[in-house]
Amino acid sequence: MSQSQQILRIARPTKIELIKLKRRVKVARRLHRVLKDRLIILIQELISLIKRSLELRTKVHEELVRCEELLFDALSVSTPQIIEVYASTRYSRVSAVVGSRVVAGVRVPLVELERKEGSIDYSAYPLTLHEVGKCYDAVIEDISRLAEIEISIVKLGAEVARIKRRANALENILIPRMESTIKFLEMKFEEREREDKMRLKKVKELLTRKSQGG
Amino acid sequence: MVSILGNKDIIEAYLREELKVVNKSLPLKRKLLTELLREGYPHVATRDGGIHMFRKSELKLAYELLGDELASKLYLPIILEVRTDLKETTFLVKDEVSAKLIAKVLGLDKYELPLYLYPIHLHELRKKIETLIQYAFTLEGLTL
Repeated sequence: MSQSQQILRIARPTKIELIKLKRRVKVARRLHRVLKDRLIILIQELISLIKRSLELRTKVHEELVRCEELLFDALSVSTPQIIEVYASTRYSRVSAVVGSRVVAGVRVPLVELERKEGSIDYSAYPLTLHEVGKCYDAVIEDISRLAEIEISIVKLGAEVARIKRRANALENILIPRMESTIKFLEMKFEEREREDKMRLKKVKELLTRKSQGG
Repeated sequence: MVSILGNKDIIEAYLREELKVVNKSLPLKRKLLTELLREGYPHVATRDGGIHMFRKSELKLAYELLGDELASKLYLPIILEVRTDLKETTFLVKDEVSAKLIAKVLGLDKYELPLYLYPIHLHELRKKIETLIQYAFTLEGLTL
């Protein structure tokens, strides 16, 4: 007998138990539906995050190459010391605000960068240096977003695996078992009814014979 | 014969637990869009004691789409009610202003209240206003 065909142990096979079991199947099916709906939302979210993470990774790699090229161009007109001063005075404060958001019951991180403009005289630096600055700004923005997405992927993935396991257990084991138990109980009651009918018939026959004989 | 259920109904308990897990992150109190735009770190407190943060760029987008008057009527996050009693996975938006914003994001010219959404619509919503929406699971038609 396969696992799904097994029946549940019931202390007393009564009609009340059968009614209870039918109600349980209804609840189990609803639970299965809740899990499936949640799975759909989470899987959609997961797939879109994976796509975005791949796009961002490619973008970050391309941007880094471009930034390096721009930096080499800038080095031809500025010294490394000037570049260092420019980089350190451009913003007085750069901070990453790490919060969280919720996706269908799963808490995932949300990172936002905050920059406070520094006291820098832009006219004192060559234009190529500004280009380099802007390029690295974009890279940092994308890297923070990438970090957020990749952690979200891990968290959502774990939740998807958990829900999938439970939904499968319900779909393939628990609900079929309850259904086969219901079938078993119904057959048992039918059999009992048939037996009762036969017994009544026999009693009736006996009574008729007795009344005829008397 | 196997004993999974026993006398106590663990399935109902599990269903309740599962709904609790899903809905525990719903906001304690929603905030107005205009109120959130004024905050340094726009967020709402959730039932489980955590916070749900909003991306500022998405708040600004919602403000642009709705305009000044409606922005002061929009409560965030927008709750998408997941209906589990319907045949397909369906999301319901009952609030008028929220429905208007979603319709604008999705490019729907005509819509009725409540606004019915399907998984295919979520992709667009997720792309533009992912932090502004939250899901709530309901069990209509089932008494536990």
